[in-house]
Amino acid sequence: MSNVIAANNLTLSYDNEDVIIKNANFSIKKGDFVFITGPSGSGKSTLLKSFYGNLSIDDGSLVVGGLDMVNIKKDKLQELRSHLGIVFQDYRLINEWTVEKNVVLPLWISGYSEDVQTTQAERLLHHVKLSGKEKKYPMELSGGEQQRVGVARALAKNPFLILADEPTGNLDEYSSNVIWDLMENACHQLDTTVVVVTHHIPVVFNIPYRHFTIDENGSVYEIH
Amino acid sequence: MKFIKTHISLIFPLVAILLGLEFFIVFDRTTDSFEKSLQNGYSMMVVSKNEMSIDDFKAWDEHIEQVIELEKNKILERLDMNKDEVKKKKFAASLPNFYSLKLDEYVTVSELEGVKSNLEKSENILSIENFHSSYQSKYELFSFIKLAFQTFIIFMSIIGFFLIVKQMEVWNFLHAQRMKIMEIFGASLFLRSKVLINMAFIDAVISALITSTIFYAIQNIWVRGSQMEILKDNVEAMFSFSDVIILLVASIVVVMIAVYLVVVNVKEE
Repeated sequence: MSNVIAANNLTLSYDNEDVIIKNANFSIKKGDFVFITGPSGSGKSTLLKSFYGNLSIDDGSLVVGGLDMVNIKKDKLQELRSHLGIVFQDYRLINEWTVEKNVVLPLWISGYSEDVQTTQAERLLHHVKLSGKEKKYPMELSGGEQQRVGVARALAKNPFLILADEPTGNLDEYSSNVIWDLMENACHQLDTTVVVVTHHIPVVFNIPYRHFTIDENGSVYEIH
Repeated sequence: MKFIKTHISLIFPLVAILLGLEFFIVFDRTTDSFEKSLQNGYSMMVVSKNEMSIDDFKAWDEHIEQVIELEKNKILERLDMNKDEVKKKKFAASLPNFYSLKLDEYVTVSELEGVKSNLEKSENILSIENFHSSYQSKYELFSFIKLAFQTFIIFMSIIGFFLIVKQMEVWNFLHAQRMKIMEIFGASLFLRSKVLINMAFIDAVISALITSTIFYAIQNIWVRGSQMEILKDNVEAMFSFSDVIILLVASIVVVMIAVYLVVVNVKEE
């Protein structure tokens, strides 16, 4: 099966000074569900950022979706990002936009028609159990609901890769379970690759997954 | 209320800048015609031994544009010569030549002195009267008004500029988060700034229309009803349709530069 992400001696740092990730070698295949764990400050989020080109690479190579992230051009990076689904711990919703408009942001960016956007928003909000809240604004929702909007947004364009940075970090059990279910389904039914940075792997998880961990020295290991 | 405040905070400085620009254009246009009328109303008197052509004068100073010879007969007519033709002819032959010289532009006082001293180099020229003191008083008053007005325009533009910089900071605060999120999801620079561009464009059009309306009102209500001849003479130069286009283009250029600077300075987290 083809690699969706491939890192070879990948080294990441902030401002070329503090090395966060050191000589990491790994590959993630299509349809893999990957958890990345590690102590606070070990570089989990940093590694995730490098997958969507939010951080420059100091050394080694990183290929995401067949694109060399070391020498990627701006237009190619924009194209890659438009095919990714990204979920943040702090939701990162656009507060002045309605829930519906937030959900279809990736479709709007790609120029889909309003009809497609409306249909997709309805379907996704039903999936994340937020039907009827289309016209609400993010600030009118609870944290758990906002994160479900974030996940719906990530799924809007059927991405080939979902990257989630502590998606359930601030959530209650109900919202966390909804989010894990959605991610499991995306991976299992749509063969989407999912990479989740988290402190805790959920106790009950219904599909096979891979587990990477980062130690305090910035080395990345796979736990079998 | 918030909506109005958001728009006013850009429209106000933009109108200040556009008023400055339009005042500059109008002032330049009206002073141009005023300068021409001053220039037309001014001439220097030259007395020469022998007849001189325009080329003879131009050879001494390039500023000379027109030469009008004052006819000797007219001078003689004013003198009572008891209709003695012989006396008259003798006197006419002994009279020097009188010329009135017009200049090609409204020169400064020192340039005027320069023209005089250039002409004085000619041995053929006996006397020059450049009416220096009347010219100087008009020139100094005109220069003072021009300087005062230009200072006012520059001051207004600086204030407008700083208010726009302030507005850019507000935009950054209001729009940066949305633009960062959109960038993460692969939006192009244009898409990220679309909301800001639309808003700024509307404000630019409104500002240009407000400024145009102000000048249209000045032209048609205040100037036409004014008792000041200089304003009445230049009423058509006050405002024209082409000014609306100039204001619109200037307004759009200013806001688009401001939008661009805000957008490119939004950095991903």
